Amino acid sequence: MLRSARSLLTILAITAVVAACGPSQTAAPSGAPAAPAGAPTYGGTVTIPIVADPTLNPWSPNAFVESLFVNRILFDGLTKPGKDLAPAADLAQSWTTSADGLSWTFKLRSGVKWSDGQPFSADDVAFTFNDIVLKPDLGAQNRGNFSAVKSVTAVDPTTVRFDLSRKFSALASYLAYNAGIVPKHVLQADPLKTNSFNKGTPVSTGPYKVEKYTSGQSVSLVRNDSYFGPKPYLDRVVFTVVPDANTQIAQALSGDISIMILDDKAAVSRVKSSTDLAVVSRPLVQYYWLALNQTDPRFTDVKVRQAFVQAIDRKAIIDSVEHGYGSVANSAITPALKAYYDPSLSSKYPYDPEAAKKLLGQAGWTPGPNGVLQKDGKPFQFTMDVGQKGILEPVNALIQQDLKKVGVVADLNPMEWNAYIQKVVVQRNYTATVNWWTYPSDPDVFPYYASSAAGKGFNIPGYKDPKLDDLLTQGQTAADLAQRKAVYKQVQSYMADTLPYLFLWYPEEVDVVSSSLKGVPDLGLRDAVQYIGEWWLAKK
Amino acid sequence: MIVFVSALTFFFVNLAPGGPASVMRFDVTAEQRDALIHEMGLDRPVVERYADWLGGALRGDLGTSLLTNEPVAQRIADRLPNTLLLAGAALLLSIVVGIPMGVLQAVRRNSWLDHALTALSALGLSVPVFWLGIVLILLFAVTWHVLPSAGIASVGKDSLGDRLAHLVLPASVLASTVLPTVVRFTRSSMVDVLVQDYLRTATSKGLAPAAVVFGHGLRNALIPVTSAIGALAPRLLGGTVVTEAVFSWPGMGRLALEAANGRDYPLVVGVAVVVAAIAVVSSLIVDLVVARLDPRVVG
Repeated sequence: MLRSARSLLTILAITAVVAACGPSQTAAPSGAPAAPAGAPTYGGTVTIPIVADPTLNPWSPNAFVESLFVNRILFDGLTKPGKDLAPAADLAQSWTTSADGLSWTFKLRSGVKWSDGQPFSADDVAFTFNDIVLKPDLGAQNRGNFSAVKSVTAVDPTTVRFDLSRKFSALASYLAYNAGIVPKHVLQADPLKTNSFNKGTPVSTGPYKVEKYTSGQSVSLVRNDSYFGPKPYLDRVVFTVVPDANTQIAQALSGDISIMILDDKAAVSRVKSSTDLAVVSRPLVQYYWLALNQTDPRFTDVKVRQAFVQAIDRKAIIDSVEHGYGSVANSAITPALKAYYDPSLSSKYPYDPEAAKKLLGQAGWTPGPNGVLQKDGKPFQFTMDVGQKGILEPVNALIQQDLKKVGVVADLNPMEWNAYIQKVVVQRNYTATVNWWTYPSDPDVFPYYASSAAGKGFNIPGYKDPKLDDLLTQGQTAADLAQRKAVYKQVQSYMADTLPYLFLWYPEEVDVVSSSLKGVPDLGLRDAVQYIGEWWLAKK
Repeated sequence: MIVFVSALTFFFVNLAPGGPASVMRFDVTAEQRDALIHEMGLDRPVVERYADWLGGALRGDLGTSLLTNEPVAQRIADRLPNTLLLAGAALLLSIVVGIPMGVLQAVRRNSWLDHALTALSALGLSVPVFWLGIVLILLFAVTWHVLPSAGIASVGKDSLGDRLAHLVLPASVLASTVLPTVVRFTRSSMVDVLVQDYLRTATSKGLAPAAVVFGHGLRNALIPVTSAIGALAPRLLGGTVVTEAVFSWPGMGRLALEAANGRDYPLVVGVAVVVAAIAVVSSLIVDLVVARLDPRVVG
């Protein structure tokens, strides 16, 4: 409530101020002469807002989303997401898999140095995994992504071997996802809680290193002269801590911010009117879903799930809440994963309340008093827990209205985010809830759907289906890309039929970019920062 | 008093649903969650944890932040001066502007000026802080480019002038939460004083009107105003939560919000204890000032 009231008031404020003061941009015309068109130039500072102080250690359990941006610049992984999101070389130059698929060997780049001048070697990789990720007591972030890894061995200074307990084709993709390598010589004593590292000036391998960490204010990065790659163009990258979304927008308008993710898509038109800013949308590896708890017998009937998905006007949600930035989802594989996504499924369940009523009738739900469906004398009524974050509240309200139209009563229970997580995720004490998943740029979504993860892992609905398990395992063990593509095409169509989660939509990210900032690849900002060495500023 | 506040906060915050942010996230497995809870010692009984905390606090150790692993005392020490600066500037602004405004209204009571200022005060009280903050940022930083949009200092260009420029907007917005109260108290208290016999005596013995109002009237009128300002201190600190968020001001208000949202138990308790101590000290200061203004209080 507070949030939506706030954004409404902000829009009013912005409209009023703009009406009163006329055009605010007095900057140079966009045709101002620059260096020869398209030729990158060195120099300048780029400023990116984050909502809180980051924790500069990719494996710390306290490294939240604001830390991602910085850590992905500082700490190179063995791989990184390519511009097509397929895993590309980073600290590793190449990799091979043994015939049985249980052993992966990575050949590391030679001559890489840490920002303190010490040499980087396979020992650092082995340390990062054996002493941090694979140590259960540390509870390192994302360790669940590497549950297939048994151990990591430094074969020689530039060769490292991952031994697996089961086949895991997605390993190279997962190594590109928040899996930065950290220095053994600095973190040996205390890998996750060294404050001079996490909250100070960590030793890193990326194109930039920390110049200064000012708590509550900013983290400024300067070029890392020991970086193995080409010299980056920008002199400085500054992350400023700006917790308020409306202040972030104001700062973009005043020119204090160079690039940011615009979470409040209602502000797009306002930002577009500024000649100094460009608005671009990017695909994301993310989807919103409605989970129906499978311990509730009403939701184990696939007809009920199929009815719900047709009763909910997902296009209307995208148009109103996301202002059109998104597309209807019918499986977990997002359009951003171009090599795997099956676009033919997008029209599988058009909005059709009549078809929904018919399906519910087939499932034994008949109209009762006040038009509410009932079965065995009990009305179709349940509670949806609503986390107070982002756009979840208006989305739930729209779903509630749509369900009411087919005779289903959903009561909304808005909850503060932290308390919501405890109830829904930790205790699994919920009936229905809306949320989203973001996952590594790979179609291997096993952890979110596996029967073994029902009720405790990431399988929020607690859906169990041996056939889906089998398909997902085939995906993990597939030998080559062609085989994987074939398997994940089947996975998508099977998911669309069975609806383990009710897939809602694939959101797009809207970025606000200063028109002088060039060279940012067409990726979500969290991925684009891994190409920050290519960013440059056109002279005004 | 402070032990009471700490105990109350400690138990309430532990009763609140949820847990530390590192544990309460979607992408943490049950196994990781158990490991972290054990590592943070949160699997021990609350009473035992409080006893440990109190033992440390008595030795000046407020514990370790669950969110950043830094000492709580250090996190507070980093932020407290910024909040005191902001709140102090706002208080100063509301006194310097509010008292003359109140006096003016009392002297010209029921004039159009009085009514206009009263209306303005009512407006000031009803405008939400976050809205006012954004409007001012849009005007002064985006449209006119005369003041910085947010933060406490420019990155890499830190100077006194730069700091003062950063202080203007947040201090004004925070002052707007208490200024109307100062004005109204000054006005009503001044109105009461102006009709007193001793003022009529002062006027009749030939003193200039300004000397009557400021020399004799204001001094007496200020006694209830000072007490009222003392009572406003907690409201000022409360106001910093929103003001600091809007202006990205690195102070206690934001720290408190982060601590509460992230269920950083030791930090929540540490902030509560420090705020309680500030409230105690500020009411002490007010008592001393009142005693100086009002000879009857001494003794």
